[in-house]
Amino acid sequence: MKISIASICFFSLMVIAMSCDDNPGESTMLTDNFDRGQMLDFWADEIIIPSYTAYVSALENLDSEMTNFYADPNVDRLNNLRSTWLEAYLTWQDVSMFDIGRAEEISLRNFTNIYPSDVDLIHSNIERRDYNLELPSNFDAQGFPALDYLFFGLADSDIEIVEALTADDVESYVTDLVTRLSNLSKEVLTDWNSGFREEFIDNSGSSASAATDKLVNDFLFYYERNLRAAKVGIPAGVFSGTEQPNLVEGLYSQVYSRELFLRSFEAVQDFFEGQSYDGQQIGVSLRQYLDDIRTSNATDVDIAGLIITQWEEVDLAAAEVGDSFREQVIEDNSKMLALYDQLQAAVVPLKVDMLSALNIQVDFVDADGD
Amino acid sequence: MKTIKIIALATIMTLLLGSCGDGIDDINELIVPINYEFVRDGASTVSFSGQTTRISMAAELASAMQDFSTSQEALLEMYANQSATGAEVNPFSDASLNASTKSVRSKVAASRDFFSSNTVEAAEIKADFESWIISQVTEVFPNREELATAGKAGQIADGSSVRYVNGKGLEYNQAVTKSLIGALMVDQMLNNYLSTAVLDEASNIEDNNNEVVASGKTYTNMEHKWDEAYGYIFGADGTDFTNPLATLGQDNFLNKYLSRVDNDTDFAGIASEIYEALKLGRAAIVAHDYDLRDEQISTLRANISKVVAVRAVYYLQQGKLAKERNDYGGAFHDFSEGFGFVYSLRFLRDAQSDEAYFSRSEVDSYLTQLTEGNGFWDVTSATLDSISEEIASRFDFTVEQAGS
Repeated sequence: MKISIASICFFSLMVIAMSCDDNPGESTMLTDNFDRGQMLDFWADEIIIPSYTAYVSALENLDSEMTNFYADPNVDRLNNLRSTWLEAYLTWQDVSMFDIGRAEEISLRNFTNIYPSDVDLIHSNIERRDYNLELPSNFDAQGFPALDYLFFGLADSDIEIVEALTADDVESYVTDLVTRLSNLSKEVLTDWNSGFREEFIDNSGSSASAATDKLVNDFLFYYERNLRAAKVGIPAGVFSGTEQPNLVEGLYSQVYSRELFLRSFEAVQDFFEGQSYDGQQIGVSLRQYLDDIRTSNATDVDIAGLIITQWEEVDLAAAEVGDSFREQVIEDNSKMLALYDQLQAAVVPLKVDMLSALNIQVDFVDADGD
Repeated sequence: MKTIKIIALATIMTLLLGSCGDGIDDINELIVPINYEFVRDGASTVSFSGQTTRISMAAELASAMQDFSTSQEALLEMYANQSATGAEVNPFSDASLNASTKSVRSKVAASRDFFSSNTVEAAEIKADFESWIISQVTEVFPNREELATAGKAGQIADGSSVRYVNGKGLEYNQAVTKSLIGALMVDQMLNNYLSTAVLDEASNIEDNNNEVVASGKTYTNMEHKWDEAYGYIFGADGTDFTNPLATLGQDNFLNKYLSRVDNDTDFAGIASEIYEALKLGRAAIVAHDYDLRDEQISTLRANISKVVAVRAVYYLQQGKLAKERNDYGGAFHDFSEGFGFVYSLRFLRDAQSDEAYFSRSEVDSYLTQLTEGNGFWDVTSATLDSISEEIASRFDFTVEQAGS
């Protein structure tokens, strides 16, 4: 059993708080009158489905810009292609955390955004032609990172990149990668629109398999692994002890790593605060849930407030880093480390305090590493 | 039971006779060093290079099993360090391993106490490893570009990692690696080098009492046997041999999983307990205090057995949870490690009864339950729980303590 010191402290505090209560005989569970179904409804209709709809459409734009490029390959059209790639990559950051339902079943995230790409594998696939993109061993030869390499890193100059991209084998590989991203996104959206939405909303209970418990776990996993570690901590060498500038997201385009990070962080905050995807309304989400628990139990600790305040620190730290995380790591890694520290400081309120208050068990463990 | 009584009686008689002959004057002052350092006439008496070599050989074998360019022949040569016809071979990338005449295979299921008069079972166990190695090449390698499905070997995603499994979901490389922890490391330690049959063999006691060293060496035979036990847990290349707790996790075998169990708050301190018992037992040999030495043997048998059993339950439980989340790749990886730790149960030694904790047929029954039909694709939570409960019931820990 692994129990963090923080959780021990938290539980001890809870126990102390309870023992001061007028009714010491009562259960230590917090009163929870919150309507989870209403929250799931808002998540599905105002955040998740609109995000996936935008993502599918961004990939359609990428697909059509690719058709334009191959109709008349030139540097201008390459730049248009790159812009639609970036727009789709940014929109991906909005949906990545929703690893539930069909997205989870088909390993959407692994087929979409495993970086760094294995450049040798990409070239060997291009040469052999009979590659199978459905194999897990091809995770790191497809998705946005592979396109990042093909659109920005395939040659030294834009003119040479245009030329390299138009080789027959490369063209069919690029086409296959874009088509696959697009098909996967549609598969997930179709599933949400043809029954999974109702299944999700109806699964409004409180158990390990309930929709709230699962999605909150997905959200935390995403925050810890994909946002905090993969985008910031790993390149900054937090885990390995050595700076690893070549492990940034968007390695070949270089200048988009901060933008991708910020979009992902924004999606995390919007989900927590219940900001609808169209930005028009604030609905029921984790912040309201925590506030509701706080009111029902008349507790002093403002968990949602702690989280939001800490995230303001993240914004300040993010303002200090440059557009290229690779350059930032090489030139002044301390700013990357400072950003990591601010992201990390929110983990305890999220993973310990919030989950205890909402009575949700963590369903993922630190990987064994072997 | 009768045989135990006779043995006990014989032991008492030996002790009585021993004390008549040698007298207690021979007991030296007990000096327990802070680090695992023992010296005679200014020279270290600690030596376990053979164990370091075998751990390195096992590591090369394990990693080569995941390299699709390796041939079946080469893998079998890494296991046996000789060709099928017994000819000298050089299968390793590390030249010092090629130069060695030692091998993994010769010490698999080769302990004095469990296998010297049980050669049928020993041969079956050695052959199990060969069959896993061969099947890796014949079943898994050809299907490396296929998706695994029930009954079909291939690859399966475990998070962003890729696992290569047979038709039952088993990773043969994990079966080999984790089963070696029992069949090589634990068996050699608990049932061979920490066996009084080996420690006290021939004139070892008399030689040790009189500090008669082995020919051309600085150590007595008994000291050396003890150090060879030490080497299987603390002798991996890269370890600080004299202060091994500072660098736990240097191999992918017993040392690594000692570290894992020690990091579980339910079992914290077990690594230090094992290290201290090895150190005290060695100091007791120097002091000619064989009762004290034997007490340490009991401590070591209990704790090292527990490490393996905890890990077996841990992986069955973690795999169960992963499978319940529909994370088949993650579950199969856990089950594959669990398979090896369950296989290793056969070699554990109960300090109280002096017998094996698990019989061959019990272990076989667990393995059959895990692998029958389509194996890990089919195995149910109820089966995993019942095996876990049975394992834990032999020890002083619960499934819950081990499983998280």
